[in-house]
Amino acid sequence: MHFMSDEHIPREGELPLYDLDSLSFRYPDGTYALRDISLKIHRGDRIGLVGRNGSGKTTLVKHLNGLHSCQQGSISYKGEPLTEAMLPGLRLATGVLFQDPDDHLFCNSLFDDVAFGPMNQGLDEDTVISRVLEQLTAVGLEKLCYKPAHLLSYGQKKRAAFAAIMAMHPEVLILDEPTANLDPRQEKIFKELLREYRGTLIVIDHDLLFLYDLCDRAVVMSDGAIHHNYSFDQLVSQRESLREHGLDFTFRFSCCGDQQSVHVHQHYEHTHEHPIGAVHAPSVLPVPPLMELQHYSFRYGDGTLGLSNANLIIRPGDTLALVGENGAGKSTLAACLLGLNRGEGYFFVNGKPVNNALRRGLWRRVGMVFQNSADQLFTPSCREEVAFGPQQMGMKGDELNDRVNDALARVHLQGFEDKVPLNMSGGERKRLAIAAALSMHPELLILDEPTASLDPHGEELLTEILESLGLTTILITHDLFFIERLSTRAIVMHQGTIIRDYSTAEFLTDDHLQSVNGLDYSYKSDCGRRIMALQDHEKGVRILPID
Amino acid sequence: MTAHPEIHIPLTTLASIIGGLAVLFVLFYWSIGGKRAKRDSFRTGDPDWSVPTIDAYADRSSFFHQWDPRIKIVSLFLYCFMVVSLQSLCWSTVAFTISLLAVVACNIPFARAGKRLLAMAGFLSMFLLVVPFTSPLQSSETLIYLPGLPGFPFHTAGFFVALLIVVKACAIALMMEPLLGTAPLAVTLQSLSRLGLPDSIGQMVLLSHRYIFVFVNEITRMYRGMRVRGFVPGTNMATMSAMGNFFGMLFVRSFDRTQRVYDAMLSRGYAGQFPSFVRFATTQKDWAKGALWIMMGLFLLFIDRMYGNPFF
Amino acid sequence: MHISDGVLPISITVASWAVSFGGAAYSLRCMKNEDLPKVAVVTSAFFVASLIHLPFGPTSVHLILPGIVGALLGPVAFLSIVLGLFLQSILFQFGGLTALGANALMMGLPALFCGLLFQGIRGKTVLSHTIAGAVCGGLGTAMAATVLACLLATAGENFVGVAKLALAAHVPVFLVEAGVSAFTVSFLFRVKPELLTTGRFRT
Repeated sequence: MHFMSDEHIPREGELPLYDLDSLSFRYPDGTYALRDISLKIHRGDRIGLVGRNGSGKTTLVKHLNGLHSCQQGSISYKGEPLTEAMLPGLRLATGVLFQDPDDHLFCNSLFDDVAFGPMNQGLDEDTVISRVLEQLTAVGLEKLCYKPAHLLSYGQKKRAAFAAIMAMHPEVLILDEPTANLDPRQEKIFKELLREYRGTLIVIDHDLLFLYDLCDRAVVMSDGAIHHNYSFDQLVSQRESLREHGLDFTFRFSCCGDQQSVHVHQHYEHTHEHPIGAVHAPSVLPVPPLMELQHYSFRYGDGTLGLSNANLIIRPGDTLALVGENGAGKSTLAACLLGLNRGEGYFFVNGKPVNNALRRGLWRRVGMVFQNSADQLFTPSCREEVAFGPQQMGMKGDELNDRVNDALARVHLQGFEDKVPLNMSGGERKRLAIAAALSMHPELLILDEPTASLDPHGEELLTEILESLGLTTILITHDLFFIERLSTRAIVMHQGTIIRDYSTAEFLTDDHLQSVNGLDYSYKSDCGRRIMALQDHEKGVRILPID
Repeated sequence: MTAHPEIHIPLTTLASIIGGLAVLFVLFYWSIGGKRAKRDSFRTGDPDWSVPTIDAYADRSSFFHQWDPRIKIVSLFLYCFMVVSLQSLCWSTVAFTISLLAVVACNIPFARAGKRLLAMAGFLSMFLLVVPFTSPLQSSETLIYLPGLPGFPFHTAGFFVALLIVVKACAIALMMEPLLGTAPLAVTLQSLSRLGLPDSIGQMVLLSHRYIFVFVNEITRMYRGMRVRGFVPGTNMATMSAMGNFFGMLFVRSFDRTQRVYDAMLSRGYAGQFPSFVRFATTQKDWAKGALWIMMGLFLLFIDRMYGNPFF
Repeated sequence: MHISDGVLPISITVASWAVSFGGAAYSLRCMKNEDLPKVAVVTSAFFVASLIHLPFGPTSVHLILPGIVGALLGPVAFLSIVLGLFLQSILFQFGGLTALGANALMMGLPALFCGLLFQGIRGKTVLSHTIAGAVCGGLGTAMAATVLACLLATAGENFVGVAKLALAAHVPVFLVEAGVSAFTVSFLFRVKPELLTTGRFRT
């Protein structure tokens, strides 16, 4: 235990905002979610709350705004022990942003949603209106003020939920993975808004690079207890303790360190040059392509173009990274390859043009792992989950059992056959979803943001599994590290078109992309360098220059 | 049986009547844009689970838009009940015409009201097809014999009864757009609570309405998750098992979400009330409009009872 | 199947409105105030479930799941059904505002009954839950169809034929509902039994 008391931060004469003393919390089934938590939080603190999935972070912050009442131990807020009567006031002074923005947007227009908090604070109409407009403008949604939330994209919803909380001008702001599943541009918007925020900030996140820039204090939780409580620099510089808590994200630094930026970018695979009207045959290459798209477009029923004139060759053994901003058309392209979307253009599988019958059978060849495991796991046991695909293929008996066992083994889930998928951890569920696709022996596996909201430990395990698959894969992600580690070729999409198709090495050094679609990874590389320098300093080996 | 005039319809006439009706239906379907949703589900393969936005045209302006929602709701709602009480086809048709005019006057594309009629088509066509053949024989009604169905005459009296129902149903369904589409849903519910409906009901309707869209999204994604693993629904146990799990998952996820939504509401200061700045102001014009509709309903009802006859 | 506006005579329309109003008021009384958002959100899940069509032979049926609603919500089920039907009629014109009362009776009474029945026969094993689910699912639909037929028959002799047909048309729905409900209940029992046991909204 590296317990540093709060004394290292000089706070003479100031009452802590929160004073938690030996706080414990048990779920109704008797398991401890929090054990003996003692923590002081001062006004103006900027705390990064980190730890593995399930270590009690969310339960802790629910105590801070009175959603959970204190079972054992005590909580004081501004020097007074928290009572039932104080809860409404406490909730109005603290803003909490949970992960799913749909939970926060419960009214039928953005305006009503953002106004909900301020109105409950009892502000008069003019103040409320000005706050709503101020906050919606800050997140760039003022034009959508009277739209219902279901017409918004995920990123817009996330920003709207943030605006709804900021409109209350909270003294304390608590955020639970604010930037999960957002593209780098939207992440940057968040980061800037949070930098400007002057109150007490508590952020739960796995992305230490993101936190490093934002927070000055780190609280590490493990199994419901606080294991470390010290400055962020101290946290990141101690690699051993990071590893102990499944937080060692430095395995990531093998990649994005000191690459030099280049401005030239060549197309790795030449674009399909035929005019649209000409005769289209599958490309003749030394190795016949597994799949090929030529001038392929997809338009949604409301007329919006999801995919425009895409040309793409996927060869057996390719490991592709599909990158682009939220809404760039990555998922639409994946749905076309899966045969879910029926687009226009030329589509060849193993050299054969895809007709209706072939398209309906594409699911036998292409496996898909969705971003949200909950969308894919719907059976009461792992065995049934993994067997579902092969059963649809008409498999029975021993063959089916072998497939199930083999697939579970490949994702390190042996012995989980009878567990309930719903009660498993996020990382296990993700691996189960992969097993459910693998059991069908796909020729191509598409993974949509497989690492979203996994802790670094889970990420590392998943990376190892994916590396060992040896399948043709398409990886949809915003995460530079995984692109580098798991792909050899990068496809960049922007507004429905494929704008780059080149090697991952070229992608990593292509700083032109920033201006195209906000794929700005530079600050992360920057943070990474600074953290590595700190770690090296700790080890006393050498000190890299910090820029 | 001799007291009943009989008409025997040749096959060709029957075929052309059916054909004509089919063409009319297709034209109607096409004109209200029913193909649009089908096209989307053709392209993505997702089932058509789209839910219309009830107040998409609430920001326009018309006779109905500029009407205090409270008086609008009360008077149109009472009017609808009066239409339900009509007993003659003739005056029901007049009510239907009034509804058509109201739809035109409310400045909302007809396709929206048309879709409402389409939604009832299945239920109402059951009446049109069944009642004429099964209604009891009435004195001096005309019986029409269709080719191939010698034992089952088509009762014209039964047909008029069924037609009366269809016309009334359409007359009321058409009034829904002027009634509900001309103010934001929140305002409509707010005015209902001013009219005495418990606040909690209005809040629940609003919340449910919001989360319908969230869950439609959720099941669309879940269904895709099943499709990419080869699920094709059929009439068999495997489908029932898969769909049983699917519904179970939907309910589990929704129960989980209830807790999260409740937490989010609490943390923004929810204390059992949805605060609102909506204010209603009633002018004499609003009252006049209300009086007009009530009078119209009463007039229809009066003239229906005085001069209407059950056949026409 | 929903009853449209204008089908039932005015007396039945008004009477069913009154009875449903009483039922909803009773439900509302059974509901704790803080459960309001939860009942609302669950109602939207049931609404969405009713959008799903399953193929049955050459045609397709959509499920109404009154048995499941009753089993999950207990006395609050009636309120939830009234809300769901209100939304269905304003959004899709399934049913209608004037026929809301009749439709609420048709779905709500079976839901209340099945809720009670389910608690009585559910037993303690997966198998007994599966059977209870099938019974409640099937019976709920059968009762709904019966209420529908009775209501139609009140409209006069002319409609007896339609009432019979409506009853017959529900036979496939009845089978599918029983099957799907059985699997849904067994899923819930294995995955989240507390939804069935404690019945979060039961008082």
